[in-house]
Amino acid sequence: MPCEQYKNALVEAAAGSTTPSGELLAHLGECASCSAAFAQEQTLFAAVDSGLHAAANTEAPPSLLPRVRVALDEATAPRLRWVQPLVLASAGIALVFVVFLLARPHRFVQEEVAKQAPAIVPIPKVSAAKTNLETTNSSGSTQVAANHFSHFHAARNSTNLYAAASSNPEVLVPPDEREAFARLVAVLNRHSDVAAALMAKAPQKGVLVTADPLQIPDIEIKPLEGAETETSKGASEKQ
Amino acid sequence: MREAAQADARREFEERLAECGPLAYRVARGVLRNTADAEDVAQEALLRAYKGFERLRDRSRFRGWLVRISFRLALDRLRSAKRREQRDTLWSHPAHLPAPANAEDIAASNQFQSHLERALEELPEKLRLVLLLSAMDGYTIEEIAATVGVPIGTVKSRIFIARKKLAEKLRCHANSIKMR
Repeated sequence: MPCEQYKNALVEAAAGSTTPSGELLAHLGECASCSAAFAQEQTLFAAVDSGLHAAANTEAPPSLLPRVRVALDEATAPRLRWVQPLVLASAGIALVFVVFLLARPHRFVQEEVAKQAPAIVPIPKVSAAKTNLETTNSSGSTQVAANHFSHFHAARNSTNLYAAASSNPEVLVPPDEREAFARLVAVLNRHSDVAAALMAKAPQKGVLVTADPLQIPDIEIKPLEGAETETSKGASEKQ
Repeated sequence: MREAAQADARREFEERLAECGPLAYRVARGVLRNTADAEDVAQEALLRAYKGFERLRDRSRFRGWLVRISFRLALDRLRSAKRREQRDTLWSHPAHLPAPANAEDIAASNQFQSHLERALEELPEKLRLVLLLSAMDGYTIEEIAATVGVPIGTVKSRIFIARKKLAEKLRCHANSIKMR
């Protein structure tokens, strides 16, 4: 056991890796136990330093740098991975925009045509699909278009069809009324005044509608030949 | 322009990688006492250093910056490992065995070294980092002061205190010194 009064001084000297000062040095020369304790402390600190050196200077595994390089490549790669889809998406959007611009004037022309001639499109029916009728009346205010069923279906989503391209309302005709409707259209085509009357605005409420008196030409009534003989026969039977 | 700057940064970083990669590993290894974990942490530290490399104005401070990143990451890993160990202990009640993780570590260690590294782990962080750096080859007191960001006198006193604390903890294991 070292002497109590030199105990701390021994540790400080060993920890500082310095040679003991005069008084301590003199005591170490005289006291064997303190000298042995000091040697033990020096050994301990040397072992600590040696162990620290070993712990702090471990060789890095050879796999470290390649691993780091791979990680660095992966860290930079995602940016590039995002670039390609972004470019493709931008190109796609630009393409759609160009197609839209190209389609737009064509659509305007059709729309102008459709505005000039309101479209009336009957509901298609497979049995009556062979009818393909397109008529315009003399005033150009009514247009009737009946297309082939398949054409109708294909064109329903297309801007090429007048009705679809136009902002005018469609007239949908049920299949069972289609024949009658066709007859009506035929009549309208023959009598443009009827068509004009149908298309004319209705008079406002409260306004008296004046109508010209009907002019009925004189009717010539001729006696029927058969009727005369029947009356003479009936008179003779009564007698 | 951006790609060229990135390529320049990558090239410059690669030049430092050969020197600083092992440094990051040693710092992590000094804290973690485990080869595999230290390698993971070193990799993570180098990756983070690379991501911030372009923003680092004074490139001469790269070493100190990397040391601090490695040290911080290693401490985080150590704490999470301790928490995990505590959970596992609560679950299965195994004996507390802070043994090295693999055969390489086992072969490299001995009884005193194991005690020393455990004692090192118990040191306060600011003492531990300075002591580790002082034990590394090629690190001067001035460099440690620059790395840690404290005066040279503070570095010296921290090294002195840290060595004394280690010696106190290891004095009871002094017998095993003779076995080395």
